Amino acid sequence: MILLQSHSRFLLQTLLNRLHNLDKTIELDYHWVEFDDVRYHIQVSMKNPHHVLLSVSLPTPPPETVSAFYGGLPFGALEAIKIAYSGIVQILDPPRDGFNLTLRLNLSKLPPDEEYRHAILVKIASVREVVLGAPLRVILKGLGSRTAASNLDRLVALVHRPKESLFLIPQAEKVTVVFPMRFKDSIDIVLATSFLQEFVEARRTAGLSNAPLCLWSPTPPLELKGAPAEALSANAGFVTIVIFPRHVEGKKLDRTVWSLSTFHAYVSYHVKCSEGFMHTRMRRRVESLIQALDRAKPDSENSKKTGHNASFKRLSLKEGRTSRK
Amino acid sequence: MDPATSRPAVVIDNGTGYTKMGFAGNVEPCFIVPTVVAVNESFLNQSRSSSKANWLAQHSAGVMADLDFFIGDEALARSRSSSTYNLSYPIRHGQVDNWDAMERFWQQCIFNYLRCDPEDHYFLLTESPLTAPESREYTGEIMFETFNVPGLYIAVNSVLALAAGYTTSKCEMTGVVVDVGDGATHVVPVADGYVIGSSIKSVPIAGKDVTLFVQQLMRERGENVPPEDSFEVARKVKETYCYTCSDIVKEYNKHDKEPSKYIKQWRGIKPKTGAPYSCDIGYERFLGPEVFFNPEIYSTEFTTPLPAVIDKCIQSAPIDTRRALYKNIVLSGGSTMFKDFHRRLQRDLKKIVDARVVASEARLGGEIKSQPVEVNVVSHPIQRFAVWFGGSVLASTPEFFAACHTKAEYEEYGASICRTNPVFKGMY
Repeated sequence: MILLQSHSRFLLQTLLNRLHNLDKTIELDYHWVEFDDVRYHIQVSMKNPHHVLLSVSLPTPPPETVSAFYGGLPFGALEAIKIAYSGIVQILDPPRDGFNLTLRLNLSKLPPDEEYRHAILVKIASVREVVLGAPLRVILKGLGSRTAASNLDRLVALVHRPKESLFLIPQAEKVTVVFPMRFKDSIDIVLATSFLQEFVEARRTAGLSNAPLCLWSPTPPLELKGAPAEALSANAGFVTIVIFPRHVEGKKLDRTVWSLSTFHAYVSYHVKCSEGFMHTRMRRRVESLIQALDRAKPDSENSKKTGHNASFKRLSLKEGRTSRK
Repeated sequence: MDPATSRPAVVIDNGTGYTKMGFAGNVEPCFIVPTVVAVNESFLNQSRSSSKANWLAQHSAGVMADLDFFIGDEALARSRSSSTYNLSYPIRHGQVDNWDAMERFWQQCIFNYLRCDPEDHYFLLTESPLTAPESREYTGEIMFETFNVPGLYIAVNSVLALAAGYTTSKCEMTGVVVDVGDGATHVVPVADGYVIGSSIKSVPIAGKDVTLFVQQLMRERGENVPPEDSFEVARKVKETYCYTCSDIVKEYNKHDKEPSKYIKQWRGIKPKTGAPYSCDIGYERFLGPEVFFNPEIYSTEFTTPLPAVIDKCIQSAPIDTRRALYKNIVLSGGSTMFKDFHRRLQRDLKKIVDARVVASEARLGGEIKSQPVEVNVVSHPIQRFAVWFGGSVLASTPEFFAACHTKAEYEEYGASICRTNPVFKGMY
């Protein structure tokens, strides 16, 4: 697995399970948490087994993005939900206590066609992409259709992690996205820094000439001039990605939105993977060193294997017999 | 306050056969997947003789191979469809055998299945009561170094199995846990939540042996099963059709009288040619689970039946705990799921205990009548993931976070903090 999938595996599994056993009435009540502190809660009651209540809570927004929230949801999220799930989903107002959004799903309203149904369930399982990625999608869509938005050249902050935001600078021909990268652990910071430098380097290879421009710098880039001071402290530097209209054409839009909104999780996943990889290498190295040591041992030591256990003298069969006499 | 304590802890129960994982506070694990990793090793075995220019390509291929692996059902499917993936089972007989594979397995569990950030959650892992402190240290090292978990608790699975019964019936933390997993069978006496380490008994017969026995029986009868698939078929047969009988001879008669009622059909598709096949399933339905009660039909080395092992285990425990132990014998693990397994166990154990009571009364000449010993084998519907459920219950209590080893402690003292387990404290 190199890229994170956009649908929640457990949510999809639960929905599919529910759909296959629609005639059985069972009570379901699960809650779970995904990366970047997105919490889910799913509930099916005995009374209406066809209705699934799905609640989602989003990461706590940092102060600079609070103004972009309407009724607990990011800008454009309500419209995005209505477009994505028209007909099968109903938004409950107010949402469940402690959550930002509660959807009521009617499983009996799903179309009978197996493949289409599966596609819809996958879409529902990617609810986080729809909700959290909504403002990003609006801006990128504006870029794709080249309809110059009114907020040109203004810094836009969007929440992507608890109390952390990414910054967008929408322009007529491109959108610049800046990620302040923060990590908790000192080793992670070092690994992430070199990972990001390598990431930028990889962009320069011939095969990727169509990929978005990508830059990394240890200090805040000039674009972030107007941002609040606490947003400008990042211990693993700043990544700037420039998106051109060709990156958001047609179907590419969804993937671009997902990749951008989970960029931090992507980097963090790969940092953990490289740590695991290094551990594997270290273990192999230790094993080979131990082997070398074992080979270097003189033979005499091998012959008196039981000898070094001085406190416990083991008798051989012969000795045992003679001592008994 | 640590924000991680406000989120539910991640509970992962790694068994030899299946891994159960999910978030604390739920009643069921999110995923139950086979503990298996399929690694693409084709990159590693490339010849080294190629020129230097190729080095970079090889290097990046090696790095890619690092992420090119699958776990669980996906791994089984991949290894079947292509020969580039090799299966490796990280856990053998209840102990971690291959740490590289285990680390990768956890990595996928966390990032691909549960999709959580390990830095955000406390973790509860399980181990068998016989796990060496070194391997506990290793686990701690991987969890704190690779995944940066804020806190870790490594629980003994039998205690968790007892804790699972804690909520369903009564507040009883004394009992014998009969944990029959896929790779290991342990009989663990627990008194007031403390494991009586010296009385733990292990049986070298576990779920995998039942599978092997079923496979052997089917092969000997000449059933038409493709050899490369026969282990998987035997496993499925075991999981769907096997049951415990009360008497082998009677059961043979029943099968012979009414074959249509007892003999089942298995249909499958040959993996290589794609041709369908079918085979009969007969006596192995009850002979499979019988290996626990009459081990001599399967192996010549170990011939003590499971009820006798349990009895011996309780007899070796401190005398004041024995009555309570007989009263609460808890089953856990997937291989106790056979129908009527607990009834058979209870009957056989009761026989042994009653015989002993009668013998002692006869020895005393009938002067003193002893109180009858109550034998009770408890079974509950969640037996298959009782350990996970116990972990989920434990990790949702507020005291859990205080009992964990934290990252700060790890950084201060090193991996040795994982050596001690609070459950064993006071025993040694």
